[in-house]
Amino acid sequence: MTDAVISTSKDMSERKLGTLLLLPAAALLLLVVVYPITTLFFTSLHAVDNANPRAGEQWVGLANYFRAFDDDRFWHSLFQTVLYVVVTVPGALLVGLGLALLANKPFTVKWPVRLGLLLPWALPLVFCGLIFRWFFEYETGIVNDVLVRVGFEPLQWLSSPTLATIAICITIIWKASSFMALMLLAGLQSIPKSLYEAAEVDGASKWQQFVEITLPMLRPAIFVALIFRTITAIQTFDIPYAMTGGGPGDATETLAMYIHKTTLDFLDFGYGSALATLMFVLSLVLTTGYLKYTRRSASRSGED
Amino acid sequence: MDGFRFNRKMIVWFSAITVAVNGFFPAVWIFLTALKTETELIKSPITYLPLAPTLANFETAFTAQPILRFMWNSFVVASLSTALCVLVGALAAYGLTRLRMPYRNLIMSVLLAVAMFPLISLMVPLFKVMRELGLLNTYLALILPYAVLSLPVCTLVMASFFQDIPPDLEAAAMIDGCSRVQALFKIVIPLSAPGVFTAAILAFVNAWDEFLLALTMMNRVSMRTLSVGITLYQGEFAFPWPLISAALIIAIVPICIIIAIFQERVVGGLTSGGVKG
Repeated sequence: MTDAVISTSKDMSERKLGTLLLLPAAALLLLVVVYPITTLFFTSLHAVDNANPRAGEQWVGLANYFRAFDDDRFWHSLFQTVLYVVVTVPGALLVGLGLALLANKPFTVKWPVRLGLLLPWALPLVFCGLIFRWFFEYETGIVNDVLVRVGFEPLQWLSSPTLATIAICITIIWKASSFMALMLLAGLQSIPKSLYEAAEVDGASKWQQFVEITLPMLRPAIFVALIFRTITAIQTFDIPYAMTGGGPGDATETLAMYIHKTTLDFLDFGYGSALATLMFVLSLVLTTGYLKYTRRSASRSGED
Repeated sequence: MDGFRFNRKMIVWFSAITVAVNGFFPAVWIFLTALKTETELIKSPITYLPLAPTLANFETAFTAQPILRFMWNSFVVASLSTALCVLVGALAAYGLTRLRMPYRNLIMSVLLAVAMFPLISLMVPLFKVMRELGLLNTYLALILPYAVLSLPVCTLVMASFFQDIPPDLEAAAMIDGCSRVQALFKIVIPLSAPGVFTAAILAFVNAWDEFLLALTMMNRVSMRTLSVGITLYQGEFAFPWPLISAALIIAIVPICIIIAIFQERVVGGLTSGGVKG
């Protein structure tokens, strides 16, 4: 009886303390995320009337969204963004899986491999973009040097839309694959050795072991890595910014770059906000999908 | 048997070299470039090792742009946002793991959702907010958003460490007259120092690397951070690659030192979320 009383009153004070402890985080989120996002949607319903620019931003309803619908540059940047996602997410997964398998060996000296995976992760994206821009330079870049040495013609990597897109994809894959590899390596190391020993006894080949044991056991790690990669790839900005600035023309421009230009270079906040809202909705859909999956897998592992 | 073992050793060597070359090659190549002169650069075919290594590009890198100032700005922004993020994150992580909070899972989900928020969507309104508050070109304009951007991962990493500390320790401390908050700062945080530390490194590297917000919030050269400052070495059409390479090398030295010293911790922190998810 007294026990129950004490524990309820303790519960109440713990609840209060818990709320108190979460307050600073909530305040930060309100100031930096929630409040700006509400103004984002509000701003997207406004525009400066070109006939009367003095009046400032006027209410225009959904006009900015209709404008996006007719805007070829928007559709192109969206297409380009989706292209980067579709190419670099599986690309980084494959390269990352390869690196993880290579790195999952009993090395006596561990640091060269570990740093070899960590350095690309820690390198700022802009730096990666700059470095690879240097690699892809027409006359002095190392990529064309290698091409010429093995008997090909040098290529105008950064001034052709197709080649520039390929160069950007290669750079993104190089940058993203090491993080992928680190996540998958942790997954690989959590697979019990006994599974392989048992398969060995049963006479399974290395390839069978890979397909029957490694891949199924890696599935959760692969899924999480893919989701994280997709969400980052949708926001691709730094690497094309540093490599081509969106050029030639607007050929390699991503949605994020277009939004940035619209708001900060053209100072068209209404339209930029509408595009940013569309971007927000796009990633919200993906995030909900992700949360649904993790919750389902969490409850599934709870049943086990 | 001997042949088999030899084979195995070869595979291990091949693997190690492939991974290391893949990771180090770009850094090595820009280092070699930084030692070359502009005249050597336009030689055809290109040279791999510098013919007459020179440190002149490094000297120019310090004088052409205020790179030490950029570095200082990055350092101030990254360390203060890290401190804020770890403090706020530790409080939240403790609340979420130790106290019987209602809606615990919902709060965790909201945190995860924030982690996946597209930065560009946030940038547009945040720029307006910071302009209204008169915070553009101040450190605060980056410290606050960076602290929030790393908050989810830091909270989750610390929460997973807090969970491993036996509650009895706190109970004992509280019987001895400690309050809950004192128990947090005197027992839980010191005992989970590795977790707190891992969270701090992740937050620091995130802030150090960030580009989009740094580009947007700071348009005065003296307030530029390193990631944006590096792009100022290029002209409108000219790319002085040896100079840019020298600046890049200077800029990546701090981050290299950090990951070299704390490599195991960083790997552990990066992967803890992935494996559990």
